[in-house]
Amino acid sequence: MNIRQAIKMAFKSIRGNKGRSVLTMLGIIIGIASVMTIVSVITGSNQKTMEQFEAMGTNKVNVSASRYDGRNVFDDLYNYCNSLGGDLVLGVTPSSQFSATVVYGTKNSAVMDKNQQNMWNSNGNGDTANSTADLPPTMYFGSDQYAICNNFKIGKGRDISQMDIQRYAQVCVLGARAAKIFFNYANPVGQTMQVNGLPITVIGVYEEKDPDSQWSMDNIIVFPYTSSRYLAPDTQMTDFIVKASSSSATTEVISRLTGYLGGIITDQNGYFSVYSDNEWQQSSNEYATQMSLILGGIAAISLLVGGIGIMNIMLVTVTERTREIGIRRAIGAERRSIVIQFLIEAAMLCGIGGMIGIIIGYVGSLIAGKLLLQMIVWPAPWITACAFALSVLLGILFGIYPAAKASRLQPVEALRAE
Amino acid sequence: MLIELKDVYKIYSEGLESEVRALDGVSLTIDRGEFVAVVGQSGSGKSTMMNVLGCLDIPTHGTYLLDGVDVKELTDRELSHIRNKQIGFIFQQYNLVQSLNVLENVELPLIYQGIGADERRELALDALDRVGLLGREKHKPSEMSGGQQQRVAIARAISTRPPIIMADEPTGALDSHTGHDVLHFLQDLNKGGSTVILITHDNGIAATARRCVRIADGKIVDDQAQEVDWL
Repeated sequence: MNIRQAIKMAFKSIRGNKGRSVLTMLGIIIGIASVMTIVSVITGSNQKTMEQFEAMGTNKVNVSASRYDGRNVFDDLYNYCNSLGGDLVLGVTPSSQFSATVVYGTKNSAVMDKNQQNMWNSNGNGDTANSTADLPPTMYFGSDQYAICNNFKIGKGRDISQMDIQRYAQVCVLGARAAKIFFNYANPVGQTMQVNGLPITVIGVYEEKDPDSQWSMDNIIVFPYTSSRYLAPDTQMTDFIVKASSSSATTEVISRLTGYLGGIITDQNGYFSVYSDNEWQQSSNEYATQMSLILGGIAAISLLVGGIGIMNIMLVTVTERTREIGIRRAIGAERRSIVIQFLIEAAMLCGIGGMIGIIIGYVGSLIAGKLLLQMIVWPAPWITACAFALSVLLGILFGIYPAAKASRLQPVEALRAE
Repeated sequence: MLIELKDVYKIYSEGLESEVRALDGVSLTIDRGEFVAVVGQSGSGKSTMMNVLGCLDIPTHGTYLLDGVDVKELTDRELSHIRNKQIGFIFQQYNLVQSLNVLENVELPLIYQGIGADERRELALDALDRVGLLGREKHKPSEMSGGQQQRVAIARAISTRPPIIMADEPTGALDSHTGHDVLHFLQDLNKGGSTVILITHDNGIAATARRCVRIADGKIVDDQAQEVDWL
C-alpha cells in the first residue's frame, strides 16, 4: 500500500467520524492556537523594542567619567576617544544633558516643565498617552558628530559644524518634535530662540525618527558643546557617546575605554562607566526568548494533553476497528501497512487540527497584538511552519502506540471480534 | 501437490487442564484443481482447519506444506503475501469493510499488491462483472442485501485471480436461492481451474463438491470422492 492510498483511506475514516474527529482535534487546535498567539505576541513586542533600539542607534558606547578633585578629564578623554581610529569608531560626541529655559514667541519651556509636573502629580505614572500638553525638550551639548552617534539625519538646514564649535557659535539644531512644539508647521531654520536669555539661532532640524511616543527622542535641542561656557557654565561635561563601527568593534571600544579610564581614574579619586546599548538590546532579546519559552512551554502542555487525547481516541478506534484490521490482514495487508494506515490517520488528524489551530492563532495574534501592543502582530512564517510540523509530529508520536497495537493483532483473533 | 497437511495439531492451552485439541493429528493432501468440501458439526475443528489452510493461523505441531513450502518457516510478511496472492477468502459474514464502497472493497487486496490505480480498477470491475454487480460500485455494503454482499466478497476473493479459493460457510447467512447461486459460482470457478475448499456443516451443500472430507473432534473421519450434484 502506498502513502497516497493510506492518506486517502485516512481521509475517509476521519470524514466517516466527523463529530469524534473534531472533538479529538480540539486539544490540538487549542494548543497550537495558544502557542502561536503567545510566541507571536512576544516576538512582536520584542521586535518593537528592537526597532526602538535601532532608532536610538546601535553600537553606541556611553562613556561617563569625572574626578572628585574637579580635575578636568574631558579633554584627555575626548582626545583618547578620537584617537581610537576610523576602523573602530564612526563618531564621537560629548553628550551632556543640561537644563535651560527656552522661549520662542509664546512658547516657553518653563511652562512645559510645569505641565509635566502636573501630569506626574495627577496620574502619578507619567503616562502621557492621552495628554495633548507639550512636554519640555531635553537639551544636550554635542559635537558635529552628535547626529552620527545618535542615528539622526538632518531634515532641514544644516548640522552643527567644527566651525560652530571653534567659534562658540550661538546656534542649535532641533529634533523634529521640538521643532513642532516651538514652531508648529513654520520653518524654524534661521529663527532665533531665547535660551537662558541669550539669542540662539536655529540652524537645522533633524528628521523625525520616533513618531509614536510622546516621550520622544525627537524632543531634543542640541547645542555645540563649547557653548556650555555661556549657556550653562556650571554643567560638568562628563558624558560622551562613541559610535562604534560594528558590534564586535563595540566590544573592543568598551574594553579599550575601560582600560584607559581605569588608568586615570580610581575608586578613590572619581568614577567612570562605560556601557553600550547593545547589552540592553541583548538582555532585552534574552528576556523575550525566555518569556517565549516559559509561556510557550505552558501552552505546549495543552498540546501534550491534546496529544494524549489523540492517542486515547486512536486506541478506541483500533478496538472498534479490530474486525476491519482482521479483514485487511486476512486479504494480505502486512503489519507495516496497518502501522502506516493508523499512523497516517493520527498524523492527519493532528495535521488538520494544527491547520485550524494556525488559522485561529493568526486571528488570536492579531487581536492580542492590537489589544496589548497596539500594533499588528503577524505570526512569522517560521512560527507557522514550526506549529504545523509540531502538530504532525505529535500525531505521529502519539499514534505510534495505537498503530503498533493494531498491527500486532493476529488475523484469526481480529476476525473473531464483533 | 498443492496442499499437504502432515499430522497437524492445533492445540489451545496446551498442557493445561483446559487444553482443547481443535485439530488432532490431521493429515490431508489436496491437488491443484480439486473441489473439496470439509464437512463437520459445530466445534468439530473445520473452521480451525480453514484458518490453518488459509495461513491465518499456524499449526501447533505438524507440517503444512503449501505448494511445497513449509508454512511454519515463513515470516509474518511472507504469510501476508501468500494470503494476498495465493488465496481468496469467502466468509460466512462476508467480512466487507463497511466504510468502503463496493469497488474499494474489491480493490483492497489489489492495493496491498501495489497495483496501480488504473489496472486495479480494471481488475476490480472485471471481478464485479463476473459476479453480476457491475453498476453497483459506488454502493456501501450496508445498502446491499446479504446475497449481494456475498457476491462482493466473492468478487474481492477472485479479483487477484488466486489459485485457491477458501469458502467458510459461504451460504450460511443466505436464503436457499441465493445460496444456490453462490455454490454454482464456486463450481464455475473450479471448472475454470481454481482449487476450491468449501467448509460447511451441511451435507447438501457438501454434495456440490467432488470430494468430501468429514471431520469430527479435530480428526478426519472420512475422506472420499463423490458424485457431484452439479448446479
